[in-house]
Amino acid sequence: MKRKKGTDPEKSSVRRKHKSPKVFFKEIGALLKEYTDKGYLRLSKLQKFIYKILAFFKAIPFAIARFFKNIGVCIKNAAISVVEEFKDIGQTFANGDWKTRVSFFVMGFGNIARGQILRGILFLLFEIVFIVYMIVAGGYWLSMLPSLGKQGPTQSYDAVLDTYTTVYNDNSFKILLYGVLTIFFIIALIYTWRLNVKQNKLAEQYLKSGKKLKSDKDDLRSMVDEQFYKTLLALPLTGILIFTVMPIVFMILVAFTNYDGAHNGFSNNLFSWVGLDNFNTLLSWQSAGGGQSYSATFGEILAWTLIWAFLATFTNYFLGMFVAMMINKKGIALKKLWRTILVMTVAIPQFISLLYVSKMFAKNGLINLTLKDTLGWISQPLPFWEDPMWARVTVILVNIWIGIPYLMLITTGILMNIPADLYESARIDGANAWQQYTKITLPYMLFITGPYLLTSFTGNMNNFNVIYLLTGGAPTNPAASGAAGSVGYTDLLITWLFKITTGAESQYYLASVVGIMVFVVVALISLIVYNVLPSIKNEEDYQ
Amino acid sequence: MSKNRHHMGIKTLNRLSNSAIYVLLVIISIIWLIPFIFIVLQSFRVENTYQVGYVIPQQWGLQNYINLWNSDFKRWYLNTFIIALAAAVFQTIIVLCMSYTLSRFRFKMRGPLMRFMLILGMFPGMLTMIILYRVLSDLGLTQSNAVPGLILVSVASSGMGYYVSKGFFDTIPKSLDEAARVDGATRLQVLYKIILPLAKPIVIYTILTAFMGPWGDYVFARYVAFGTSAGYNVAVGMYSWLTNDQINNMYTTFCAGGVIVALPVTILFLCLQKYYVEGVTGGAVKG
Amino acid sequence: MTLHSLPGGGSDGADGAGAELAGTYDIVIWAPEAAVDLTKTQVADFNSSNEYGITINATVEPVSEADAATNMITDVQAGGDLYFFAQDQLSRLIQAGALSKLGDAAVEFAKSNNNAASILAAQSGSDLYAYPLTADNGYFMYYDKSVVPDSDVDSLEAIIADCEAAGKNISYELENAWYTAGFFFATGCHSDWVTDNDGNFISIDDDFNSDKGLIAAKGIQKVVTSKSYVNSSNADFASGSAVVVTGTWNYATIKDQLGDNFGVTDLPSFEVDGQSYHIGSYSGCKLLGVKPQTDATKGAAIARLAQYLTGKDCQLARFNSFGWGPSNKEALADPAVAADPTLAALNEQGSYAIPQPNIHGSWWDIAKVIATDIRDSDGSESALKAALEKYEQSIQAVFTMSDDVKNAFTVIGSINGDGWTLDLPMTAEGDIWTSNEAYTMDAGVEFKCRQGKSWDVAYPADNYVVETAGTYYIQLNAATGEVSLIPA
Repeated sequence: MKRKKGTDPEKSSVRRKHKSPKVFFKEIGALLKEYTDKGYLRLSKLQKFIYKILAFFKAIPFAIARFFKNIGVCIKNAAISVVEEFKDIGQTFANGDWKTRVSFFVMGFGNIARGQILRGILFLLFEIVFIVYMIVAGGYWLSMLPSLGKQGPTQSYDAVLDTYTTVYNDNSFKILLYGVLTIFFIIALIYTWRLNVKQNKLAEQYLKSGKKLKSDKDDLRSMVDEQFYKTLLALPLTGILIFTVMPIVFMILVAFTNYDGAHNGFSNNLFSWVGLDNFNTLLSWQSAGGGQSYSATFGEILAWTLIWAFLATFTNYFLGMFVAMMINKKGIALKKLWRTILVMTVAIPQFISLLYVSKMFAKNGLINLTLKDTLGWISQPLPFWEDPMWARVTVILVNIWIGIPYLMLITTGILMNIPADLYESARIDGANAWQQYTKITLPYMLFITGPYLLTSFTGNMNNFNVIYLLTGGAPTNPAASGAAGSVGYTDLLITWLFKITTGAESQYYLASVVGIMVFVVVALISLIVYNVLPSIKNEEDYQ
Repeated sequence: MSKNRHHMGIKTLNRLSNSAIYVLLVIISIIWLIPFIFIVLQSFRVENTYQVGYVIPQQWGLQNYINLWNSDFKRWYLNTFIIALAAAVFQTIIVLCMSYTLSRFRFKMRGPLMRFMLILGMFPGMLTMIILYRVLSDLGLTQSNAVPGLILVSVASSGMGYYVSKGFFDTIPKSLDEAARVDGATRLQVLYKIILPLAKPIVIYTILTAFMGPWGDYVFARYVAFGTSAGYNVAVGMYSWLTNDQINNMYTTFCAGGVIVALPVTILFLCLQKYYVEGVTGGAVKG
Repeated sequence: MTLHSLPGGGSDGADGAGAELAGTYDIVIWAPEAAVDLTKTQVADFNSSNEYGITINATVEPVSEADAATNMITDVQAGGDLYFFAQDQLSRLIQAGALSKLGDAAVEFAKSNNNAASILAAQSGSDLYAYPLTADNGYFMYYDKSVVPDSDVDSLEAIIADCEAAGKNISYELENAWYTAGFFFATGCHSDWVTDNDGNFISIDDDFNSDKGLIAAKGIQKVVTSKSYVNSSNADFASGSAVVVTGTWNYATIKDQLGDNFGVTDLPSFEVDGQSYHIGSYSGCKLLGVKPQTDATKGAAIARLAQYLTGKDCQLARFNSFGWGPSNKEALADPAVAADPTLAALNEQGSYAIPQPNIHGSWWDIAKVIATDIRDSDGSESALKAALEKYEQSIQAVFTMSDDVKNAFTVIGSINGDGWTLDLPMTAEGDIWTSNEAYTMDAGVEFKCRQGKSWDVAYPADNYVVETAGTYYIQLNAATGEVSLIPA
């Protein structure tokens, strides 16, 4: 990562003056074609800057190609290993003793027969639970999965009681939910069964070669020692599987149904599979009403989401760093007090502070009234939330208010870690404060906080709270609003998604498609940055 | 420094820049504090209950706090407190298990697992709200039972947030573990005898963030507890006071509620600020 | 409480149900925060006075009328058994399966006791889905007499001039379709949605995009381009407004804010090309809905309670407690009601108000943009026309489909047991349309093939009835209208 820098800074600045534009770009071009350390060092500062940008974009296609190549390799490897697995299973059965063979049908039998009672019972228990579940419920859910239900609710009138009674029948939602769960369960069984076969094979080999099998006591002991990680991860991963993975799988599936307010799958109409229709709706350039197609609306919101994420991340980053440096400066007193004041915004729940601030900036809120009536500085209220541009700037400013303290805390720690002698020697060389900042502080910070910047960028893309509590997406964007619901100029993809879900039509399927698109965008950005960032970082003037 | 001592110019410059910084810091402090001071002031206003164009109450009093006491606020507060407490305990355990493991153990699935969770984190969580509601509803953990439901969901998915504390564990030298292992300690003993005492800042950081989270949880909490006041948390309950049909009656009560909610959380935070800073800087950036 | 105001006291079937209904029922009622305590009292009164021996054990939860539909749609099962809601949510609630249709006697009760506009609000197609609770969901104008003299209140232009001169705001939530529509009604425009008995929207008849609509747009322009305009319907008098267009629910607050300068009246007129137009409005209702029940007796008991809660005495009690204007005819005739200043203003406005029909959920989002468009436009006539043009395209898009979809035939029926809700696709070869899949059908299953998912062109004239169970492709000759089954 670190490169030796043998050149004298004086030299490059002298050379820059004499470069003709032709040479200027030729050198960059040559370097882009084939990178050499020497060539890079010969560049002037401006050239280096341009080179870095160009190199970034040049690397994108490669990064994408590499990604797809990796996928290809993964698929190939997976296919090979599946074949290997089957081969191994076959051989285990063919070569195994009777205990092993019985274990193919009665899981854990081999373990019990060979004295590993605890393992065996766990295997057996799992198999029994699975079979019982499939008979009692799983089979039904699985069989209903292709149709998502056959009979919706029915109503009948009772003339004597003068009342309508409803009989609820199939529930598409539950069928989908438990169908997915059942599939998860089946996968778990297959995995466990495979584990059971493997263990039998191993146990057999161990015994043949005269080694002793692990006793139950050994197993238990290893759970807090070699295998301690399994013990530690068991609970967290189960939670993630049930409450994160399963819902995501479910919601991806919803994108292929017509699940919405009018087809809620139980109390009115059942919903059913519709294939790729929803993706067509969102991605086609055909107008879906309101004079603008879904895709155009999506594009508009995406553009603002990216702008917002970029500005929100970097304004906070640099201003936070700036504030931290001010407070850290030698000779500034009351450091703790300044920090404590700022940190209040981190401590106080956002729904209080943001809701309050949102009311403050309203057209008839405190700020406008003070400026207009009390101070008389303006004759009409400032359109903080009414004008698209004002609203966008205001949310970014308020976000700075929310975000600076956090960044200040983070950067304070890092700033203190920068070796003091770096600055000392820079001062001796006569570098001024700005030069010290650009030569030492900034590169150091960027290097350390690179990954943080990325997570903070994607985090801001999905920053629901700030937008929802401040503006709720307002002001309305007339062009984009229409059949897709009401869309505002400050709406991010995530708040739009929320509006679709809770809006007049409750278009869950559309929300699901938008959610998948959000994922694609975030994943793409992360992928590109991860793949490109290290190569850029190599060239960083960092020591 | 010694080199600059005889340059009087630099000294004056330094003094000048320091004064500029003080001015800036004072301005910043005012901007940062103003909304909070306003909330506090308005919570003591008793002459009316709607939004007005002045800050200092014409009549001071505790009426808004009495209103709070007479409303369902007590219940919401208790709910939130229980959730926060439970989250602080269980979420911390889960997060520490997860991050310690991923920092200290090298096993076959470690890389794929971390990548998988990174990808999972890229899905907008908002999407899964509907399904989580249904799952909770099947378990009977919605509406009036929303509190255990919310605890379950927040704890169950908290493993995803291992990032910061893993970063912190990474900074504790591995040689300590190895030395203890050579002395015959099991992994479990290494964890609670050696690592945990050293990880005090990150433990407190995790507890603190877990405890603070539920106080601001609105969207999902509303979705789970809708229509049942007894299941609301403070955010859901108080948000309804700012809707169009209630804001005129409840605005100052909202401010009073805001003060009551913010006070303990802020005090706690300020007391433990030191650990928070150590946690963030130790973990967040090294992850 | 008098017993005779209860329905079913007469000769209609419900009388015989009395004994069967006796029992204790646990239910949840959703009422707006303000009405929680009163509702509890009223339920207790019902328990002690009803003739059927019903005891209702009610939990009353504070849920705003505006949120009822959103909450109900989240999960009907977990919703309140009895709930207050604003009428614009009716069709959403019906579609979500969250409203139980009224029985014949209940319809009779509601219709004979309430005014016609409130019945219209509770109706979808020819069926009644809820009980009218109030008839005051309309808007009019509150004003500050120290800024707007009484002589100016009839002219929009004068009001704007007064407010601008005094540096005061006009709170008029025109970026909300409910308020926008008033300007169009002023010039004689209409926007009528037609629903069927299941709460589905069939068509729209709307002429906002017309010469009359253009006049209305010019009126809107006057307000939204004024520097005094605030898009709000809150009680803003304490924060710089001198005029607020809102409804009865803000009365108490505004009275408190304005004190002696309190003024309330109907909406003003605006002038375009020398002609004056009195701004119209929607008049609407709050309704009481009953969630569909699986137990007939419980459903009937709740219906009795709903009828009691929407009867004359309970409506009057609500008027006395928090000024809700009754929909009950007898209650409306009560002298105290007639003398109420806000209800008087509402009444004055009433001659220019349109009873709010059932409106498609998307319309609110589409129409609210008109005012925003006008505000952001360059103000030229062509820009106003463009805004209306866009509005029309948007609402038509709610119903229009591409030509392919319009011409395509689909099968619809009881084939999947989905009860005629799902159109199954067909593919054409010349005039012969064949279903994309073979369906397993029992004898007696009925279906039709229809074009463009509408009933304008559908074959055969009467439903096709499957005679022998089996798995068939469905085939249609579009030229002759002949439908046949092809065994798979």
